[in-house]
Amino acid sequence: MDGTQISPSVQIALQNAVNGLLIGGTYATVGLGMSLVWGVLNVINIAHGAFVMLGAYTTYWLFTLYGIDPFVTLPVAGAALFVLGYGLQRVVVNQVIRASFLITFLLTFSFDLVVTNGALAVWTADVRAVTTAYSGRALHLGPVIVPAIRLMTLAAALVVALLLHLLMSRTRLGSAIRATASDQDAARLMGIPIAHVYAMTFAIALATAGIAGGLAGMSFPIYPAMGANYTFIGFVVCVLGGLGSVTGALIGGLIFGLLTTYAAGWLGPNYDYIVAFSALILVLLVRPAGLLGRTARFRG
Amino acid sequence: MTRREATGIAAAAAVIVVTLVLPGALNTYYIRIITGIFMFGILASAWNLIGGYTGYPDFGGAAFIGIGAYTTGILMVRSHLPFAVALPAGCVLAAAAAGAMGALLLRLRGHYFAIATLGFMLVLRQLTANLEITGGGSGMNLPPASDFKIFYYWMLGGLVLAVLAGFALPRSRPGYAIAAIRENQDAAQVLGIEPLPYKILAYAANAFLFAAAGGIYAYWLTFIDPLTVFNIDFTVQAVVMAIFGGPGTVLGPVAGAVILKSLDAALTNVSLFLHNVFFGALVCALVIFAPRGLAELFQLRPGRSRVAALGASIREALQENRV
Repeated sequence: MDGTQISPSVQIALQNAVNGLLIGGTYATVGLGMSLVWGVLNVINIAHGAFVMLGAYTTYWLFTLYGIDPFVTLPVAGAALFVLGYGLQRVVVNQVIRASFLITFLLTFSFDLVVTNGALAVWTADVRAVTTAYSGRALHLGPVIVPAIRLMTLAAALVVALLLHLLMSRTRLGSAIRATASDQDAARLMGIPIAHVYAMTFAIALATAGIAGGLAGMSFPIYPAMGANYTFIGFVVCVLGGLGSVTGALIGGLIFGLLTTYAAGWLGPNYDYIVAFSALILVLLVRPAGLLGRTARFRG
Repeated sequence: MTRREATGIAAAAAVIVVTLVLPGALNTYYIRIITGIFMFGILASAWNLIGGYTGYPDFGGAAFIGIGAYTTGILMVRSHLPFAVALPAGCVLAAAAAGAMGALLLRLRGHYFAIATLGFMLVLRQLTANLEITGGGSGMNLPPASDFKIFYYWMLGGLVLAVLAGFALPRSRPGYAIAAIRENQDAAQVLGIEPLPYKILAYAANAFLFAAAGGIYAYWLTFIDPLTVFNIDFTVQAVVMAIFGGPGTVLGPVAGAVILKSLDAALTNVSLFLHNVFFGALVCALVIFAPRGLAELFQLRPGRSRVAALGASIREALQENRV
């Protein structure tokens, strides 16, 4: 390759890096909740993506019906799913939490069926989008273009990750969650109400899923069956970053964003699953504890 | 031959004779419903080989439905081979694919195996949509069959094969190894059982049967596209039916398929939109109240009536796993 051709290819590589990191924030937020539930409850929440979908619809309806700015709707989506999550865990998931993983796997599958098909019945299969007045704006930083809304979603994702990190490391609830994750019986003997702590964990995870849905809805189409995609993304993010930390999920999300963006740039738009899956299998076989190599516990 | 065995063989023969003559007495609607029940009987029994007997919960079975469906379709449409040749080719290809993928995936355990198999299915779906020979995202048409009743008999044949596999596996030497692997893989290894080949055997047998159901389904439907055949619902329903009926038993998965698919047909008549919601709610209730399947729920206890036994089972299930 001679010198004159390097410039545009470098520019494309830079632009892909920026796009990947920006969208990686949304993926990281999807991964945060999945990692929390997996690390603390030892449950793979197959319905995680379906709850992301509910968050996306919350943002969509508040924006479309009442003209509320999508970023303002994020706390609302988070709060609504927090309540749903607490109830679901307290009433349903806690009943089977000590059963084999196949049982909890099936239970979350059943949540996915109910939520996704319920949404299909109520909101139809129409594909919707959140388009704000500032959706088309972009910053020009030298050779790369930074879409304003994507930059804001990354900022929001970082705020969510920081808040979760503070919650896990600086509060009594965070200590209780970490204690329960590392030794349930010892935690119970210390007087920690396990059922409540589990419910709070699931509630927090669903709150982040709701916010992730709002963020995803600003970048991607919204439709009832969108969830399956995000469940898979969440899982890959958890595996890439390693289970057990906010930082892990964040880094996993950014890596996943870069990976899929570069794959789309080089191979075409329809290879993202193939690339993500190959990365997943490679990491699982070579470094099962994730790229960061942490243990399977949720740390603050 | 013991008395018990003789009764078993006589009952099996009677069931087969009844199912063989049944299409003559039923209208199109019921033949279609029963063909569907047979199909899910195959899937649930096949899943039972890897998920029930071996303890490796495969959630990507639809990958093999897709391989069977597309191989059958491509060989019939592009190579003009008869169905009876195309179908076995699809089954063999699926078993080979399971052997190759299994060598990687079956090293993973628990959650990791479950999701990795799910990912494998999604990858095949995307590959199929990208390829030209499959017709890409717009799918492919198969030649229509002369008589729809043949699908009833093909599915029945597949079901008999699947039940025989479920009967033979635990009674064979590999079956003992597989049971040891399920109970404690590390201990089995200490005893000199190399787990991977046995796990691959069960996984490939499961894939062969999934592909058989997929190939027949494709010819039955006459149109396939990536989303129809690489469909996670097939896998989940097979898993639920196997667990509902009793995993690790010969006829449990078939019973699960008969009960749940009949219920599903009835619910579809009530509401086309909501039958999946009902199904989800049913799975949720099943998992909470009868995590070890229906058979266990009605197991008799000494000195108690059936209803009392049912209540006791549910109470035990609820107390066992809650926090």
